[in-house]
Amino acid sequence: MWAYVSTLSVHKDGATPEECEDAAGVVPVIESDEPTDGAVSVAVSDGASESLLAGPWARLLVESTVEAVRAKPEVLHSDSGFARVVLDAVDDWDEWLAAYIAGREAEDRPIKWYEQPGLDRGAYATLLAFHLTDVGLWHAAALGDSCLFQVRSDRLLRAFPVETAVALGTSPALLNSRNRNEGLIASKAGLANGDYEEGDQFFLGTDAIAHWFLSEVEQDDCPWEVLRDLSAIGSQEAFAKWVADERASGRMKNDDVTLVHVDLG
Amino acid sequence: MAYSAEISRVNPTCFVFLVDQSASMNDPIGGDSPQRKADVVADAINRLLTELSVKCAKEEGVRDYFHVAVIGYGSSVGSAYAGSLAGRDLVPLSEVADNPARVEERVKKVPDGAGGLVETTTRFPVWMDPVANAGTPMCRALQYAESIVAKWLVDHPGCFPPIVLNLTDGESTDGDPDAPAAGIRAHASADGAALLFNLHVSAGGGEPVTFPDADGGLPDAYSRTLFNMSSVLPTDMRSYAATQGFSVSDATRGFVYNADIASIVQFLDIGTRATDLR
Repeated sequence: MWAYVSTLSVHKDGATPEECEDAAGVVPVIESDEPTDGAVSVAVSDGASESLLAGPWARLLVESTVEAVRAKPEVLHSDSGFARVVLDAVDDWDEWLAAYIAGREAEDRPIKWYEQPGLDRGAYATLLAFHLTDVGLWHAAALGDSCLFQVRSDRLLRAFPVETAVALGTSPALLNSRNRNEGLIASKAGLANGDYEEGDQFFLGTDAIAHWFLSEVEQDDCPWEVLRDLSAIGSQEAFAKWVADERASGRMKNDDVTLVHVDLG
Repeated sequence: MAYSAEISRVNPTCFVFLVDQSASMNDPIGGDSPQRKADVVADAINRLLTELSVKCAKEEGVRDYFHVAVIGYGSSVGSAYAGSLAGRDLVPLSEVADNPARVEERVKKVPDGAGGLVETTTRFPVWMDPVANAGTPMCRALQYAESIVAKWLVDHPGCFPPIVLNLTDGESTDGDPDAPAAGIRAHASADGAALLFNLHVSAGGGEPVTFPDADGGLPDAYSRTLFNMSSVLPTDMRSYAATQGFSVSDATRGFVYNADIASIVQFLDIGTRATDLR
């Protein structure tokens, strides 16, 4: 099965691109206009704006997760497997954080008093992991409100882990960079799987675009059409303009937006 | 829907803290606590500024989602900031965070993980010191806050409505504060009317009360006056308060009697909240 994979992202209005706290990772690494033949692993994460170092934690989570899923796709078959992937990222984070603090000291910018409580609490982010096998099946695991949508024959076949727009609030479940409670993480993780056919579309997105997507579906619209077109264009600028228009109309909240489109058409 | 404007660096809002510094604030708070009321409100302000700074802290510094004034009223009405911020009214939060008058080391007891408590030192930034002398010109203080709010709204007409938080023992000596309180609440941004909340510290005793929806259980006339001056909590703040275990209804007001009010900062939505799995 051939798949085209594209990633589009735009930061929150009023922030800088460097302040974007969404992250997405795909393996294998391919250009959006080049098809890949074989398994595809994707991870999407949304750092919580009220936590410190949420962006770096989200990036580390997706990098660690896509590599873990690529090496062993079965980790997405059980909540305990997913939890162990997270714990590996937590281990990596300790090392990253020690280097970060040392770097701040070296730059003569030691940690300020108002940062310390946030560092003590840890960074927070959602995580959605997805694996497309080369034998017609897909698996996903999630914690939080980053969402996966499967579209077939011009209708929404599956929404995971959130199924309604109203369920997307400002207090999603989040992975903390200091949380080593494997049982707790496993108990809060959601799992999903299914099959796929030629022509299917998968969309993975963070909460702002997920909310927009589900709202459109609830109004009997077909949000995948415009997303498929934007994905085909493959231009970050065109995507940013479309997001700006949706924000201005009030249809999309002002937040970092990340979309990964896996096109089996 | 009102009270739904985004609080951001491009659309910040303002916080005006009013601090009673009258002679009656020298009295102890009552109950089992020997603390003076002036110490209680100074601690409350310093904790509120700490909570705001930590809430808005990112790795590059504190973001200016709020501009903050601390206004004292006693022998005069004006800025109560100490240190390098002295004399200023509204200050961007990043400047507040970077300029406490001093940072004290305070001892506090924390769980030791084995069912007991252990003493540890914590850094406690201080922006204002306790003061207690002269009368209680609460009406003049409310009018001062109103002028700050009015000026802010000219420059920020679309902001989340300004919040005025008055910390007092309730004994106004320059008249009935009800009308100037209404004057604050009469100002509005496109997102709703300015909010007035009150913390009443008292030697009057009775149980502490947090975010009540009626004045029936309050101990005295001062409490009831302050309760009735206080704005009803907006829907989103009320919903979040409920998730934090507070008992709320449609009539719940931003009023606290002899209890911690720092939690009010956490009711404000500046983005995805960092909450632990439970």
